[in-house]
Amino acid sequence: MSFKDFLKAQQHNIREYGMYIAFVVIVIFFAITTKGLFVSSRNIGNLVNAMSYIAVLAVGMTLVIVIRHIDLSVGYLAGFLGAIAAIALKYWHLPLYAIFPMVLALGVCAGLLTAFLVAQMKIPAFVATLAGWLGFRGALQLATRSTGTIVIENDFFNALGNGFIPDIKGIAILPGIHKVTLLLGVLAIILFIIGEINNRKKTQAYHFEVPTMNMFILKLVFISAVIAGITWVLAGYQGLSWAAVILLFVVLLFSYITTKTVIGRHIYAVGGNPEAAELNGISVKKITFIVFGSMGLLTALSGILYASWLRSATTIAGAGMEFDAIAAAFVGGVAVAGGVGKVTGSILGALVMASLTNGMNLLGWDISIQYIVRAAVLVAAVIFDVATRNKGKS
Amino acid sequence: MEPEAEATPVVEMRNIKKNFAAVQALKGVDLVLRHGEVLGLVGDNAAGKSTLMKVLSGAYIPEEGEILIEGKKEHLTDPLHARRLGIEMVYQDLALANNLDVTSNVFLGRETASTHLGAFSVLDSRHMEQEAQRLLDRLKIDIPSVRLLVERLSGGQRQAVAIARTMAFNSKVIIMDEPTAALSVAAISKVLDLVRELKAQGASIIIISHRLEDIYSVSDRLMVMRNGRKVRDCPITGNIDDFRERVVAYMIGARDDFAAIAAN
Repeated sequence: MSFKDFLKAQQHNIREYGMYIAFVVIVIFFAITTKGLFVSSRNIGNLVNAMSYIAVLAVGMTLVIVIRHIDLSVGYLAGFLGAIAAIALKYWHLPLYAIFPMVLALGVCAGLLTAFLVAQMKIPAFVATLAGWLGFRGALQLATRSTGTIVIENDFFNALGNGFIPDIKGIAILPGIHKVTLLLGVLAIILFIIGEINNRKKTQAYHFEVPTMNMFILKLVFISAVIAGITWVLAGYQGLSWAAVILLFVVLLFSYITTKTVIGRHIYAVGGNPEAAELNGISVKKITFIVFGSMGLLTALSGILYASWLRSATTIAGAGMEFDAIAAAFVGGVAVAGGVGKVTGSILGALVMASLTNGMNLLGWDISIQYIVRAAVLVAAVIFDVATRNKGKS
Repeated sequence: MEPEAEATPVVEMRNIKKNFAAVQALKGVDLVLRHGEVLGLVGDNAAGKSTLMKVLSGAYIPEEGEILIEGKKEHLTDPLHARRLGIEMVYQDLALANNLDVTSNVFLGRETASTHLGAFSVLDSRHMEQEAQRLLDRLKIDIPSVRLLVERLSGGQRQAVAIARTMAFNSKVIIMDEPTAALSVAAISKVLDLVRELKAQGASIIIISHRLEDIYSVSDRLMVMRNGRKVRDCPITGNIDDFRERVVAYMIGARDDFAAIAAN
């Protein structure tokens, strides 16, 4: 393999590294301009909580855009499902263990309904979900008409969006530091290193080329340092929040499904060339149902997180969330044309957008300027994406 | 070759008829493909060659006629059924997912899994990469890495991947629809080498092409179709100029070996 071929093979990685670099630049910029306030434990903890419900949506949106569709209905659907959860809690007096499965199931049903319109009735997703955007908006207003904003007083429910994982009490060392978070961070680093070493060994066993030992160690050290840094910062405040735990779980699960399983491979095949997928025995219809179904599930989760974060269900909950999720996906390298984009990329995109908002708020920038800056970042990210993509074409 | 294999053709299509509304696309066509043979299928546009191949690959169901695979009568219901019987088709637009790498395309829709959980089965990526690499080596296909995305490959390399894919799973018959269309001269000669390599490894192949010189250089036998009928079926002999002249005469209807049968 010549160097040129190596570069060609690395093309999509270069695109990804560009995003990480951009994120690091943003973090450093705000860290300096806010005199460290931006990277303070308390701020990072709040930032993660405030972005989690968008990030969860962005994960689902990634898959939807990968199979060449779009979902505009998720914002108000999340708001509506959050309201259902609040009503079930406050007026129907249902227990939480009944509410969560019910709301998640409703989300899946809503997603399958969209899939039915798109895959079965052949309605363009833009139109089908625009109808959903209108319909769920109406449904949200209907649900909250008699009550107005529903204040949620269940501590467990509210902890999902605001609370932190418990710590072990009565340990004298490292006062003020969240021990369980530290422990989890160390565990994550150990699991990561073991996983990478195993992966390298297996790849070598099959006689495929692996990065040089130095590069490999550099990668291990760098990523371990990043995990350690984040862990240390989070442990300095109240530790890992429940929202962060849920988000991590969603990202790991969907990242695994999209990269390691047959269904994930098929989702990308459908996005790359639906006709080819169909000719090779992959049912485009089935994939469409699965993708919109999981979008619905994640929308329900997002709605719960949002209601929990606000400690209430409002009459306009979810407005505009669909566009934040779509923007996060595009900033994260998902291609408008479909077939390209990673779950982890979209999370990074969500993190970039949330950091911008958070940082500019700390600096006290005017909200109108904030919108313009975010617009510029979105356009710049997509221009970078398109430029690196076309350069690789021979 | 064994005498039995010679006696039983790998594919036999008898009196295939297919209508599209009032149009008779196939008016009773016979086709025989023997083991290890390359059959060139030519004809003008709308002669019925693509329709006939779509019948054989299960995409169309004929109104009349029968199909025998290795002497056994089969009713092909869809392309996947045909594929399970070992009939593979290389489509003119290649049917590749450009956003995926070479390995993923070779195994598209037939991924090897290390655990079996239905749709959520875990891919055995390394095994597939290894198999894909072996396949390319075996067919002498020059692609630097099976991890390259197909969108980074040249037209000839893509065609090679599309053809190689058919060989990954014990296929009996490979149908190629215009494999050399829209390729450079150098790429065409590589694709033709690949066809010869497949034949040498025992594949039975049907090639549809407008490029008569390609048919001449790789095929053992030629079948000419015109207006939904077979008008010529013979081994390839003689020099290229005579061959071309004769084939064109059949294609435009100046000659017809089966006119007497059609008249009955």
